[in-house]
Amino acid sequence: MMRPVLSIKDQAAIVGIGTSEFGRRLPRSQLALAAEAFKAALDDSGLRRSDVDGIAIHLGWPLGVDYDRIAECFGLDLRYVTQTWLHGRFVTHCLQHAAMAVATGLATVVACVTAVSFTRERDILGGPADFEGGREDGGTHGEAPPYGLTAPAGGAALAMQRYMALYGATSVELAAVPIALRKHALGNPLAYMKRPLTLEEHQASRMVVDPLRLYDCCLVTDGAVVALVTSADRARDLKEPPVYISGMQGIRAGRGEFIFSPPGLGINQQPTARTTPWDRDMESYRMAGIDRSAIDGFYTYDAFSPLVLFALERFGFCGPGEAARWVQGGRIGPGGELPVNTSGGLLSEAHVGGWNSIAEIVRQLRHKAGPRQIADAKFLQWGTVWGDSAVFRGARA
Amino acid sequence: MSDHKPLPRITPDNRPFWDACRRHRLELPYCRDCGKSHLPPGPVCPFCFSSAIEWRAASGCGTISSWTIVHKEWFPAFRNEIPYNVVQVELEEGPRLTANIVGATNAVLRVGLKVEAVFDDVTADLTLLRFRPVE
Repeated sequence: MMRPVLSIKDQAAIVGIGTSEFGRRLPRSQLALAAEAFKAALDDSGLRRSDVDGIAIHLGWPLGVDYDRIAECFGLDLRYVTQTWLHGRFVTHCLQHAAMAVATGLATVVACVTAVSFTRERDILGGPADFEGGREDGGTHGEAPPYGLTAPAGGAALAMQRYMALYGATSVELAAVPIALRKHALGNPLAYMKRPLTLEEHQASRMVVDPLRLYDCCLVTDGAVVALVTSADRARDLKEPPVYISGMQGIRAGRGEFIFSPPGLGINQQPTARTTPWDRDMESYRMAGIDRSAIDGFYTYDAFSPLVLFALERFGFCGPGEAARWVQGGRIGPGGELPVNTSGGLLSEAHVGGWNSIAEIVRQLRHKAGPRQIADAKFLQWGTVWGDSAVFRGARA
Repeated sequence: MSDHKPLPRITPDNRPFWDACRRHRLELPYCRDCGKSHLPPGPVCPFCFSSAIEWRAASGCGTISSWTIVHKEWFPAFRNEIPYNVVQVELEEGPRLTANIVGATNAVLRVGLKVEAVFDDVTADLTLLRFRPVE
C-alpha cells in the first residue's frame, strides 16, 4: 500500500454530543428532534451555533432532514456540507468526511446530524412505498420485490440462514446477541427497552423472516443525535476532553461484498471461502497505532442480530464461523471480555442510524457512562460488517 | 398500486434476460473475451471489463445457496401467500440469483438442494423465473 501524503490520525476529534429523547410515534418533527440534539451538543462542547460551519447529514428526507432545510431552519451559515444515501451504513462515512473537512480546513466545526422518524415514515421500509428496494436487479440489501423479498431484514435472513447451514449455528446461540444488548440497555436511562430479555422470550417471539425472530430485528424508533467534530488543535480548549478519531477505513464494495454478510459467505455474487480477516480490514488499527487487542469495547450497526456476529468475524475478534459460539457466556455483555454496543444499540436503545452508539463511545471515553462504564476505557471501535471502521481514542489514553 | 405484486424494472442491460424468460428460456450474459458469465446483467464484464457481452443459453440447473421464509406482510399483494419462501440459487454456470421455489413445501428448503428453472407467465408481457426441486 502506498504511504498517504498526509495522516489523519488524531487530527480530528468529537468535542460535543447531544441527543433528543428516543421513542416511538413521537409527536415532534425530525427538525424539532434535531434542534433539541443540536442545542444539547453545543452546550456539551461549549461551542456556539455560529462556530458550526460544516454539516454531515447521515439520513436525509424523508426519514430525516436534508442539509439545506436544517441550515435554513437553524439559521446556520455553512461552507461545507455532505449528505449520504438514505441508509444506516454511512455512520463512519459521515465521521470521515467531517474529520477530513476539519483536518484540511474546509470547515472548522462539522455537525454530524441524524434526526429520524422511523415510525412516521415506516411505510418506506420494505413496503410498496420503498422505492429503492425496487432497484433493477436487486435492492441494496438484497431486496427482490417481484419475489416478495422486500425489506433489509430479508438480506440479513439470507445471510444468517446460510451461515447456520455452513457452521451449525442456531437461533438459540444467536439470541445471545439481543440478550446481551438488552442487559446493556437496562443501565441506560435513554434506552427505549426497559425490561430484561430472556432466551425463552426470544425463542417464543414471532418469526419475521426465517431465521430472524422479532427480537433479532432492531427497534423502529424516532430520535436525533448530533456529534460535533473539530480539529485536534481547536478541540484542546473546549469544555470536555476530546475524543480523537485515531484510525479510519472506508466502506468496502465489490463482488466480494454483500452489505449484510461477511466476506466469503456466498450471498449474492460473493465468492465462497472461509477467509481469515483480510489484511486490508486491519487498516484502522494500524492507523491508530494499536493492535486489535487494545480495543476495550466494540460498537457496530446492529439492525439485525446476525450483523453483530458478522462484524466480529470481519475484524478478526474470532474466526470465520465462530462468532455464534464466541458471543456465549456474557462475553459481549456488561463486564464481558469485549462489551458490544454498551448503550443497547439499535436492538434495545433506539434506531438513530447508529449514532446512538457514537454518542455512547464519547461518553465511555470521557469516563462518564455511569453504570455502563467500561473500566479504564482507552480505545473503542465502531466497525461494521461492510468493513468500515473508526478507532476512537480517549484523551487519557 | 399495492394490490399488485411488484414487477421487475426492465432496463437496456437486463432486457435480454427477461425477453428470454418470456420464451421460457434462461439466458446469461457471457464475456466473449474471457468466457465468464455474470449476474446481475451489466454492459461490461465485471472480471475483465470487456464490452464484448453476448447472451447464451444456460442449463437452468442450480442449487439453493440460501433461503428464507417470509412471515411478515410487507406487501399487501403477498398477504395470501404468507409464509412464502425466497431463495438464492447458484446456477450451474456460477452466478447467483434470487427467486422462489415452487412445486414443493417450504419444509424441503435447504442449502445445497438441487433445483431447476421453471417459468411463470405472471402477465401477458412478463415471465418470472422460479425454480422447483429436481426429482
